[in-house]
Amino acid sequence: MISTLKISAFIVPIILLFPAVNAAPWADLSQTELEQQLEQKFSEGKYSPKGADSCLMCHKRDQKVMALFQGVHGALDNSRSPMAGLQCEACHGPMGKHNRGGKEPMISFGAGSKLSSDSQNSVCLGCHNDPKQMAWHNSLHNLEQVACADCHQVHAAEDPMLNPLRINEACTSCHTRAKADMSKRSAHPLKWDRMTCIDCHNPHGSLTESALKQTSLNTTCYECHADKRGPVLWEHAPVVENCANCHKAHGSVNESLLKARVPQLCQQCHADDGHAARAVAQGGNSAFGAGKSCLNCHSQIHGSNHPAGSLLSR
Amino acid sequence: MRFPLNLLTMALLGLSGSAMAADFSVNRANTDKVNTSGFQCRQCQLAPGLSGEVTANAGYNDSDDIHSGNALGDGRDGMIASVDAELGYRSQGGYRSQLRAHDLGLDNGFVSLRTGRPGQYQLALDYRNLTRFENSDAATRLWHDKGLLQPSPNLRYLDLELERQQAGIGLSYDFGALASLGNLSSYVRYDREEKQGHRSASLITPRPVNFALPVDESNDKLRAGLQLSGHNWFTELAYQGSQYNNDINNLSLPYATDLYSATPDNQAHQLTLNGQYRLASTIFSGRIVAGRMLQDEGLIQMTGNPLQSWDGQVNTTDANLAVSTAVNSRLRLGGQLDYRKRDNDSSVAEFVQLELNPVSGAIRQNPLLDIERQSARLNASYRLAPGYRLQGGYEFKQVERSYGEREETRDHSLWAKLGMQLVSPLRLDLKASYGDRGGSRYQAGELTSSETNSLLRKYHLADRRRTAMEMGLQYTPLNWMTLDFNSHYALDDYRDTVIGLTESRDYGYDLNLSLQLSERLSAYGTAGQQWISSQQNGDQLTPWHSDIKDNFISLGAGLAYSGLLDERLTLGADYQFANSEGNTLTEGGAYDDYYSFNHSAELYGRYHLNDAMALKLTYRYERYFDTDGNEVGIDAVTGLTTLGVLNHNYNAHQLMLSFSYLLP
Repeated sequence: MISTLKISAFIVPIILLFPAVNAAPWADLSQTELEQQLEQKFSEGKYSPKGADSCLMCHKRDQKVMALFQGVHGALDNSRSPMAGLQCEACHGPMGKHNRGGKEPMISFGAGSKLSSDSQNSVCLGCHNDPKQMAWHNSLHNLEQVACADCHQVHAAEDPMLNPLRINEACTSCHTRAKADMSKRSAHPLKWDRMTCIDCHNPHGSLTESALKQTSLNTTCYECHADKRGPVLWEHAPVVENCANCHKAHGSVNESLLKARVPQLCQQCHADDGHAARAVAQGGNSAFGAGKSCLNCHSQIHGSNHPAGSLLSR
Repeated sequence: MRFPLNLLTMALLGLSGSAMAADFSVNRANTDKVNTSGFQCRQCQLAPGLSGEVTANAGYNDSDDIHSGNALGDGRDGMIASVDAELGYRSQGGYRSQLRAHDLGLDNGFVSLRTGRPGQYQLALDYRNLTRFENSDAATRLWHDKGLLQPSPNLRYLDLELERQQAGIGLSYDFGALASLGNLSSYVRYDREEKQGHRSASLITPRPVNFALPVDESNDKLRAGLQLSGHNWFTELAYQGSQYNNDINNLSLPYATDLYSATPDNQAHQLTLNGQYRLASTIFSGRIVAGRMLQDEGLIQMTGNPLQSWDGQVNTTDANLAVSTAVNSRLRLGGQLDYRKRDNDSSVAEFVQLELNPVSGAIRQNPLLDIERQSARLNASYRLAPGYRLQGGYEFKQVERSYGEREETRDHSLWAKLGMQLVSPLRLDLKASYGDRGGSRYQAGELTSSETNSLLRKYHLADRRRTAMEMGLQYTPLNWMTLDFNSHYALDDYRDTVIGLTESRDYGYDLNLSLQLSERLSAYGTAGQQWISSQQNGDQLTPWHSDIKDNFISLGAGLAYSGLLDERLTLGADYQFANSEGNTLTEGGAYDDYYSFNHSAELYGRYHLNDAMALKLTYRYERYFDTDGNEVGIDAVTGLTTLGVLNHNYNAHQLMLSFSYLLP
């Protein structure tokens, strides 16, 4: 799926609520000109004399601005909060002459900002420098120029990305195929927000493939399916190697998230002595194509601990 | 030819821009002239107190199938009640607490509490109830009692459902600056999950008999870590462990003991050391993980088993090294090397098999599956011009395995992606990739060399060419309208496979429309289709061919209207339709129906009685149908006993009245 961040269902309402962002006096500057001006301001370090009070002289009527103080980034009594240091200017850069008519640009964030995502994100990464963001720079989201503020909000009592009931909505606003998969015949309970995308994936990237939080795909599955972890006496090689050999984690038109129905799925690998490759002309006519099909007998398909269970049937 | 020239021109013109993206991190700020003693923020002081909303829900479910509980949150037919909460509490001194509950009291609900001083320490408490409903009328003549499946002439009807109850407690503590080393922080978290219910299983008596396997198991997880960070680096030492316990024993019939082995208890432990170092615009990240999975459950004692218990031990090693560098404001390069090893150090013995294996005979030694994997990834991202970005990458993966038909496979893949802001409202993304898998000579495995069909190629080991393309269009003609169109096509060609999966195609599209028609009225619509077709050959006495054609349709629409009746009333409606269908064609004919569909609808209205109280009425409707030609009556097929026809066909309704108390 092409997962470039789009102005999607999740983001449009935010833009509409704050049309002023698009109408900034520096809107006519090109991205390069804007970054150059802001870098100049940043290096000059002309901060305001009164911090947030200087900013709020003009911006206190903006509910979005004032919502900052409901959240942790607006806490005055926390030494780690931006408000305990340079306050608004910790993130938006030194005020300089911005307060003289509001024509000098400030660092801004989100879909309305002309700044590159790298420049926007440098503000956040300056403090959020920890193992959860370790693989950010090689991550899909970074390469796709996703800005932190495209998903996260600090001008709010709570960042919506900390609410498990809003995470899937945010992810699937771009990952639309994954959203459709949630409604297939079998799927993890993501559609109803009983699981979230970040139960398995780290949106900030990971050193594991597919931005998985655990060290491998199988280890990720074992987080909830520890009964499949083993080791067991008789292992089924493709199971041990990769759960995705047979299952589609995001959803399938087949039962049990399987890539194909049984017996066809099994027969894509097994043709031993004609037994496994028995042609089942029609489902429901024989034990090979009825009930649990191959699993009527080989029910311990994920591995067996029975001394006589080498055929995964006990 | 004009188009690429334009891109090139824009790219060259853009080189005169700044060399690197700006770095506005606060630790680079020039604070020489700043005096924060005057930073009071008198206008942003917040009074301590409680805020948020708490909601009591009471309603009625009308359903004759517990499966509806998946959509409606509760499988009961009748009265239901639950509590929701979104509460925040601030006290003086920077302490904050937050309580969140959703559908607490239903079969699927949760509550979580976070309290502490953000940035210093935080305590987390979580509880979640997660239930998966399958069937309410699984019919069986085997009654389970303490490991004995007692046959009965009478049918017993069981619910196939699994309920997970999860509870967790976590504590994080930030020690702050540690001498001159850096900032030290720590965390520890314990989680326990108990899972109970029944799931479908099957055993050989020696005839195959499907039965409802009781589930009663738990999983205890512990994770803890220490993190140390400096200006341009950090490192973490972390542990995570899991202990799985199964309280269901091996299963026996009165006339045959231990026919079905229970899933054994097991443990897994992982120790991780990771870190990152930043050198100007280059970032180095690395991770080393040592893991061990253990299982030493007592084995079933029987003739032909030489062991009391089996010492199962698998050691795992993972190592990763990643580098990413911003060469300039236009070009970013990245690369990663990965190593993963699964080393099975379990004990080995020879066991007599009850079924005669034509390959290995009646006695078989348990094989130890070892897997070693190396991979390398490279990527580059280049901004051609504002709105135009070209990306490309190469990935290589080599897997070596013991006891496989193919001891080594090697995957190479190349991909490229071009993102273009064609005109102001229209963005186009194109992606193409090509992959090729080969490897060592495909041969029958060491243990199965004499009998495996020599023409068979297992699809996860076989030579394969994978070609994939994707296209995304985003059209924003007006600031209140967005239309997204995404499509994909992928072809897997197993070029050397005669028996087995020979080809698989997956293609489809989805369309998403978002409308913010006014400040109060928003609407959306979605539509998508997907087709997955596979072709495979088998060989019993003569070769046969099978086509599998799966397809999927999803539709959705909804609207929300707020601000009615003097800003007091919000109305909303959502509808979703999904249809999953699988068609299997063999030379003997087509399989019976295999499809499912559902219509899901929700209507709601929320009315603010005053500033402190609100009422909400919600109606939800779920129409669900599924069928599977393989589902047959209990004794419909000679020699096979099933749990009956377990298809679904129901209409379910839920009416819920919610009363919310709003805190300032």
